[in-house]
Amino acid sequence: MCLAVPHRIIRLLGPGEALAEVRGVRRHIRTECLPSVEEGDTVLVHAGFAIEKVLPRQEEELASLWEEIYALSEGNPS
Amino acid sequence: MTSLSRAQACLGAIRERQASLKEPVLLMEVCGTHTMAIARHALKQLLPRELSLVSGPGCPVCVTHQRDLEQALALARQKGVLLATYGDMLRVPGYASSLQEEKARGASVRVVTSAMEALELARNNGAQKTVFLGIGFETTAPATAAALLRAREEKISNFFVHSLHKRVPPVLRFLASQKDIPLRGFLLPGHVATILGEAPFAFLGEEYSLASVIAGFEREEILLGIAALLGQILRKEFRVQNVYPQSVRSGGNPEARKLMDEVFRPARALWRGLGELDDSGLVLGEAYEAFDASFLVPPLSEELEEEHVQARNLCRCGDILLGRLAPRECPLFGSSCTPVHPLGPCMVSGEGSCAAAWRYEKTFKGAN
Amino acid sequence: MAILQSGHGGGGRLSSELVGALAERFTSRNLPSPEMEDCALLSANQGITLDGFTVTPRFFPGGSLGKLAVCGSINDLAVRGMRPEHILLGVIAEEGLEREELLEHMGQAAAVCAAEGVTLLGGDTKVVPRGALDGLFLTTCAVGSLALSRVPGMARMQPGDVLFLTGPPGRHGACIAACRYDLEIPGLESDCASLWGLLEPLFALPGFRCARDATRGGVGTVLCEWAEGRHLGLLLEEEALPEDSRVASLGDLLGLEPLYLACEGTAVVAVAPEDAEECLKKLRAHPLGKDAARIGYVTEEHPGTVGLRTSLGGVRVLDMPVGDPLPRIC
Repeated sequence: MCLAVPHRIIRLLGPGEALAEVRGVRRHIRTECLPSVEEGDTVLVHAGFAIEKVLPRQEEELASLWEEIYALSEGNPS
Repeated sequence: MTSLSRAQACLGAIRERQASLKEPVLLMEVCGTHTMAIARHALKQLLPRELSLVSGPGCPVCVTHQRDLEQALALARQKGVLLATYGDMLRVPGYASSLQEEKARGASVRVVTSAMEALELARNNGAQKTVFLGIGFETTAPATAAALLRAREEKISNFFVHSLHKRVPPVLRFLASQKDIPLRGFLLPGHVATILGEAPFAFLGEEYSLASVIAGFEREEILLGIAALLGQILRKEFRVQNVYPQSVRSGGNPEARKLMDEVFRPARALWRGLGELDDSGLVLGEAYEAFDASFLVPPLSEELEEEHVQARNLCRCGDILLGRLAPRECPLFGSSCTPVHPLGPCMVSGEGSCAAAWRYEKTFKGAN
Repeated sequence: MAILQSGHGGGGRLSSELVGALAERFTSRNLPSPEMEDCALLSANQGITLDGFTVTPRFFPGGSLGKLAVCGSINDLAVRGMRPEHILLGVIAEEGLEREELLEHMGQAAAVCAAEGVTLLGGDTKVVPRGALDGLFLTTCAVGSLALSRVPGMARMQPGDVLFLTGPPGRHGACIAACRYDLEIPGLESDCASLWGLLEPLFALPGFRCARDATRGGVGTVLCEWAEGRHLGLLLEEEALPEDSRVASLGDLLGLEPLYLACEGTAVVAVAPEDAEECLKKLRAHPLGKDAARIGYVTEEHPGTVGLRTSLGGVRVLDMPVGDPLPRIC
């Protein structure tokens, strides 16, 4: 569990509904699980429902973790 | 940094950390989508030999018990019922049949890709009762809840839900308490965490000293999760670590949880291969009883269950899911239980431990 | 299973099992060689094939049931080196079908015949009561003549042979799934086409071993049939597989694997290593083969199994799908 794909919100439609796009595919999705959604947001869509906003890759938050990883991997190249 | 170089860096880090640990490590993932992604990218083969990554009961479809399936089949067979289900459920076997088979026999079974689609079917088919099969963990339950809320608002009286939704934290607690399994940590399901946040998983570190990492689903995200788990084990610092921050907020999604709480209540549930676990299922609360499909069918006959006791008793999925037993050690493996005629969840899931073993062991000896 | 399910016609393992059971009813005298090839040998240098077509929707981006019916049979001959020559066409229509629609399908079928020089020798028409079937079913029987000196077939495949895919897999199946699940994917079209023009130039290569038309069950199924039929291993490089981004999008959204989605104008080809370079050149020279790629090779390792090596170096087993591809959320 669970298949979810990031979509971009193109337009908010009636209550609970939005037009979203992913790689050229347009579809209607539900927004009841994420009422704060706005046009232009990128959201994770699962089973037809937006469940969370996708924030840009959290480079800062994970930066120190990635530093650790790279340092370790230098001692053990693939 | 490309996806490939990140993945390679993680593998390097995993090897380094595993080498430093100098002892075998057993980790478990509890997410069907993680199981699939790990198999798709053939990741297990690339891990050091002393590091075992086991597939736990993380596929909500596969852990749906035969008894629950039989209720769904009974619903599908009823005249005037249109059963709407996610595609995942179609081939899952009950005791003697499946939704696919009932469909072939003439039952009204429709595949939908969203709970709202099922509600739309109810709106458009006034003469029939539309029953939606609610499966999935906390990632999917809010969607079912939203559909029910709308059904209630619009007074749609021919829409019903047969809730087979299950909860992840209780099964994690069950797994963590199995003292005979040398589990050191969990790769936590990223999208369940999207809904629940970090808090419901904190007990793993606090009460059981288990490493826990919330991970995403790309191969480098999974490998990052594994590397982070080993880091926690090395440092003996056990806490919920979120390495999927782009999609998981530490507090999860409160709106989605509110929808679930409004409609569902926790209840004891039956898991294929594991038995009954307290509070591990979600059933419709009192306010939504009118939509509960379980009132549409009589309870299962005892004769039906007795008929299939033998197969049920021999199925070792419980032990396989808990990492106690290897697939080939199960008496039914490869004989009465194969991917074409699966009995337990480990074979039902295309990427379950048994289905994977059936494919891999034919040829790739030595692959995990 | 006591009753047939739709998966039994899906082209994967359930289908294989069913076909095997059906064949078993015939004695070896009446079923001399149950071969796993796209067409049968009518004589030493003639091929014959039979196909049924039941797709819905009957009109889809890139084609129609009528076009599909003729292309499908032509392709079954073409991959086995048989120049398509004659066709018989069976029509079973449901009472209530629009006459204009049937004529449109015939028009599209006729257009393919004209383009490929195939003559319609005869046919049959039935109209059944409303409800007896869904709209329209077509059946075609096509006959062709060997266009090279030896009959190609998997029996000629050897370790070391190079594998090609003539185009991105899964386009037809993705197109149908998009229609069925109401997804608008701009530019997604079925690959429905006659492969004769694309494949004929390959017959001049002495090292041309065999080809298969990937239909229901997709490229994955035909590769598994090759591996199991010859008890050889096939090893593919995941990065080398041609990809159609729209098929990939649909795959992501519905949880479907492009290698198992149906094709109707895509073939897998096996050639001896010394002819590999030339094979690729010839494929790419044809408009249908512009995305053709070398995808792997035949090996003695892991006999009977198809392996797919990822860019990380792991190898996963590509098994035959069990039944129909179904959208999933898990």
